[in-house]
Amino acid sequence: MMKAVIPFIITVLFFMEPIFSLFSPIAYGDALLTLVPRFVIVALIFTAVYGRKKDAIIYGIIFGLLYDVFYIDIIGVYAFLYPVICLLAVGVVRVIHKHVVTVIILSLLLIALLELLSYGFVSLISITTIEFKEFLTGRLVPTLLANSLFVMMFSWFFHKVIEEKVFRRLNEFM
Amino acid sequence: MPRFFSNKRLILLLVGVIVLVALISFSLRDRHNASLPERVAKDVVGFGQSIFSKPAQYITGMIGNIDGILNTYDENKILKERLNEYASVQAELREVKLENDELREIIDKKEDLNAYDPIHATVISRNPDQWEEKVIIDKGAKDGVAKNMAVITARGLIGKIIVVTDSHATVELLSTENGNFRVSAVVRGEQSDDESAFGLIEGFDRERGELIMKRIEANAEVEVGQQVISSGLGGIFPKGLPIGEITEVSTDDYGLTKMVYIQPAAQFSMLDHVMIAKRTSVTVDGTDGNGTAGTEGEDGS
Repeated sequence: MMKAVIPFIITVLFFMEPIFSLFSPIAYGDALLTLVPRFVIVALIFTAVYGRKKDAIIYGIIFGLLYDVFYIDIIGVYAFLYPVICLLAVGVVRVIHKHVVTVIILSLLLIALLELLSYGFVSLISITTIEFKEFLTGRLVPTLLANSLFVMMFSWFFHKVIEEKVFRRLNEFM
Repeated sequence: MPRFFSNKRLILLLVGVIVLVALISFSLRDRHNASLPERVAKDVVGFGQSIFSKPAQYITGMIGNIDGILNTYDENKILKERLNEYASVQAELREVKLENDELREIIDKKEDLNAYDPIHATVISRNPDQWEEKVIIDKGAKDGVAKNMAVITARGLIGKIIVVTDSHATVELLSTENGNFRVSAVVRGEQSDDESAFGLIEGFDRERGELIMKRIEANAEVEVGQQVISSGLGGIFPKGLPIGEITEVSTDDYGLTKMVYIQPAAQFSMLDHVMIAKRTSVTVDGTDGNGTAGTEGEDGS
């Protein structure tokens, strides 16, 4: 029962992403700012860091695959990127001190990496023609700012609800 | 520092990469024809998505209503002025329609490029990574939606259907960067059909937020402020869907043809209700579709 909480949260976030992306792009002055909601990957990173690595990677593959099939129509992009980001998160957390602030910063850095990799991919198959500078100012920075709000809220929620209730109980069983 | 990857894991990762590259290249080759498992997955996710998007739309609709109430007084004044105008236009339209029908009967012409059956649909989500301008609607093959059909809002053309599953469809918006998205369009002349200038909408200027129409004959007369509509000559879209208004006229890279910038009539953000225009006259399935008409080379919709 408790084990189902995390996939449930990820599912909800998965469906929230396109709803929030309806607000984008935002016109600021004469520049268009694209905000990309990256909720699922944040939840995956937190699962990878605080929960079990295996769970995070399996959820990453499943939700990445759904994302690819439903939105992108190219199978394998996010199904690959999501688990790789989770692996990186686990790798980094082994070395640094696991603290709320470091995990938040780590999540933001990994979102930036995800954006960069997806930019690399779409420019490789020439879906987009925007220049790197425009990508940086028009997309990466606004995305990071918007997602940092979410990461902070999610981190609070995660510590209050998931860590105390779910993981502690799971650990007691093991 | 612990070792990041053991040998076994490294091999696993490499195999994973190879499988995914194969998958990516396989699905890239034929992006717009979903296979059976893809279609099933799309319909299931789409069903979940509509559960979430309905309440979200309800809330944004409510905010819109409050906004609307605040502007009611001003709008009402303007609308009352328009109403008198509307009555006379309506009467004239009825006359013209009747006359048109009679004339059609006389020359025994039944097909009409302008005619289409509207299919009403709701936008349930947008491609969240926003590299491509796509939205997903809640009507699919079982409602009569087919690939390449035009999608419009009350204001004008917004895009075309690129992927269809049983109960959902993906729409590529006109604001896409995809250079293969062409719409056969016409700049309507003031007086007669002879003055119309034909061209293709291809491309979108992100910075200006305007569509680019190319391949207009060099000696065609086009002016800023003229209306651009779909021509229906691409064989798929109906004729007469409003696209936008010309804002700038210039020549193309080689100076051989004219190129104009068009302010789109429809809005591409915050879409909720859209219509799919199913053309009633014969459609031609060019290289855009499955190529059954045997056409080669470029074509538009």
